[in-house]
Amino acid sequence: MEQQQMTKKMEVKGISKTFYNKNSYFTAIENVSFDVKDGEFLVILGPGRCGKTVLLNIIAGLEEKTEGAVIYNGKEISGVNPEVGMVFQKLALMPFKTVLQNVELGMKFRGVPKAERHEVARRYIDLVGLKGFENSYPTQLSGGMKQRVGIARAYANDPKVLIMDEPFGQLDAQTRYSMQNEILRIWEQEKRTVVFVTNNIEEACYLGDRIILLSDCPAKVKEIYNIEIPRPRNMVSKEFMDLRAKISDNTDLAI
Amino acid sequence: MSVDKKKLEEGLKKYQNQQKKLSLKYALLSAAGILGFLLIWQAVVKMGLVNEARLPTPVTILETLIYKVSNESPDGSVLMVNILASLQVALTGFLSAIVIGIPLGLFMGWWEYADRFIRPIFELIRPIPPIAWIPLVVVWMGIGLQAKALIIFFTAFVPCVINAYTGIKLTNKTLINVSKTFGASNFEIFYKVGIPSSLPMVFAGIRVALGNSWSTLVAAEMLAASAGLGYMIQIGRTVARPDIVIVGMVVIGAIGAILSGLLSLCERRLLKWKVNR
Amino acid sequence: MGSKQKERVHAILYWGLPVLAVILIVVAWVLFSAQHPELMPDPVSVWKRLIKTFVKPIGNTNLFGHAWASLSRVLLALLIAWAFGIFFGILIGWNRTARAIFGSIFEVIRPIPPIAWIPIMIMWFGIGELPKILLVFIGTFVPLVINTSAGISMVDKINISVGKVFGGSNMQILKDIVIPTALPSIFAGIRTSVSSGWTTVLAAEMLAAQRGLGSLVTKGWQGSDMALVLVAVITIAIIGSLLSFLLNKLEKVVCPWNSNK
Repeated sequence: MEQQQMTKKMEVKGISKTFYNKNSYFTAIENVSFDVKDGEFLVILGPGRCGKTVLLNIIAGLEEKTEGAVIYNGKEISGVNPEVGMVFQKLALMPFKTVLQNVELGMKFRGVPKAERHEVARRYIDLVGLKGFENSYPTQLSGGMKQRVGIARAYANDPKVLIMDEPFGQLDAQTRYSMQNEILRIWEQEKRTVVFVTNNIEEACYLGDRIILLSDCPAKVKEIYNIEIPRPRNMVSKEFMDLRAKISDNTDLAI
Repeated sequence: MSVDKKKLEEGLKKYQNQQKKLSLKYALLSAAGILGFLLIWQAVVKMGLVNEARLPTPVTILETLIYKVSNESPDGSVLMVNILASLQVALTGFLSAIVIGIPLGLFMGWWEYADRFIRPIFELIRPIPPIAWIPLVVVWMGIGLQAKALIIFFTAFVPCVINAYTGIKLTNKTLINVSKTFGASNFEIFYKVGIPSSLPMVFAGIRVALGNSWSTLVAAEMLAASAGLGYMIQIGRTVARPDIVIVGMVVIGAIGAILSGLLSLCERRLLKWKVNR
Repeated sequence: MGSKQKERVHAILYWGLPVLAVILIVVAWVLFSAQHPELMPDPVSVWKRLIKTFVKPIGNTNLFGHAWASLSRVLLALLIAWAFGIFFGILIGWNRTARAIFGSIFEVIRPIPPIAWIPIMIMWFGIGELPKILLVFIGTFVPLVINTSAGISMVDKINISVGKVFGGSNMQILKDIVIPTALPSIFAGIRTSVSSGWTTVLAAEMLAAQRGLGSLVTKGWQGSDMALVLVAVITIAIIGSLLSFLLNKLEKVVCPWNSNK
């Protein structure tokens, strides 16, 4: 795909985050800036445990930033951005709600009538391949299926930008590969901007239009890669391996 | 470092100030809550909305409390004697329940045959509310220290056994297997793996047992005793002195809270490895 | 061969031990009551006493009537306590200011055992129904508030984040996410409240009542009728077990997602 002149959807400008404790402080993010372009699949790749989730929470408006601004469609955003959806690393499905009820959650909050809610939710449950499990409880599902529910839940709320926080981090390797293809399929079908966080280089190279490589603590932008490899990408092709090695050499070792 | 160190220090100061202000605010609100409660109480009685002969004011109660520190009337003992009498009963029953109940529970949880043998007996005793034991025990043993301690024992015994049992049953199977591969005997594993990993549950049981002991004590003393806080309350009622009754209640509550605080302290000492929660 | 024999020994011990335990209890009871009939009636006379409670009612009602008197007091008090306790628990679990103001008052009153309220209740309200129900209310209110507020305040922060990301208002998050998440601990509170209520009503009845299982205990005790005491105690135990059995069933209905862990 040619790198067309995409419009800026979101601008992350000079974000820093310092956590204060009783007698100490800890800087997790330092002066991070990047753009999110409309419709792109942007991957934020960072080693270790530093800063990524915090950065996403700041973009989604769940957490206060120490410095900087998040600009969305040209306007500075404070508080939760209603056009941003999120898939959580720890799933955070409601154990007491069925799959259908979990997927409906956002629409329920917005006061969408029940019939419409059901219809939209069912459509996305189908899309993630969970038809037939609408009335199951999350505890009855496998890890991969649970994360599919999380993805359906995020899409069903009709976000313009979808943030995914290491969504496949807790899956086994096989499931992870199939989920990566799945997420690309859904992304191509739905055409929404995706910001995807991972600590896995291969996953980043496989999924991203662009990769923003973060450094270890405190997280700073180390480099931004434009990935020109056409999709579907082959994980053992030469160009893929080269890219992977290039990023790998540039990555801080995490303990 | 590109981020200004000075700025961070300032941020920390600001944060600390904010936290201080917050905790001060909540402490003040708490104090205001209690103070408001007492003031309303005082006002309601003083304005004659409630008969003072039935509900004494907080001030009267404080005076009675001070009075009871050094006076024996109307129940025949000064406050400290009553407290000690109650503590003696409660702690005797409570401690014997711990000494017997916890090993028993651990034992039942670890060795299946012990479980099979003891469980029917235990299940028969368990559903009987401790208070229902009072008449039986009094008929058997009178109203001495032993009788009351036995009643307390029953209330504290049940949670000790149940929690020790559950705690050791929940021992991580991997840990047991690891110990086995290192050649530990069953008893060694029980002692070095099972018991330590059951401790948090055991402590939860002890906490319940302590609460039960203290509240049953009052029942035991109200039904049959010659000294103690429960007895003092009972006398206060018969001589129509609500201030004595409420002083008794307040002291019982305070000592209960102190005991539970002491237990938390022990727990924190003993379960240091569990702080990461 | 060896392992088969081992299995047989295991089966014998596995089923033999509990039977042996029960036999031992019965034998001990019979022996003890034969030697000290004034301290402990034998099983047969307890059975006869049980029949007699139906033939010759005490206080104008039979054993069922007494059991119902106790149960209805507990149920009435429980309903009131559930309504107020859960509401109050949610309030102080969710709102920090409310917790600071009302939680402190609650913390002061909480350590007073419900039974210690009995004398003052009798002084204020006599020995009618009101003081008993109030007592049971106090005994059930406290565990409910403790469990509910703990459950509410311990809800994982990420669940609240989910609510915010999906555009929920504070009330929506509370209603749709926080309260259901806390439901198992609210239920634990309900469970504790039932057993605590059952104990408290007995204490209240033992001190002053015309009807109720607790009053039977006192009557038997004062009339040196130990068989009646035992009949009452056994009934109390059976009803207590039944209540906790019913609660287990109810929990599976109320929290179905919790069942297959």
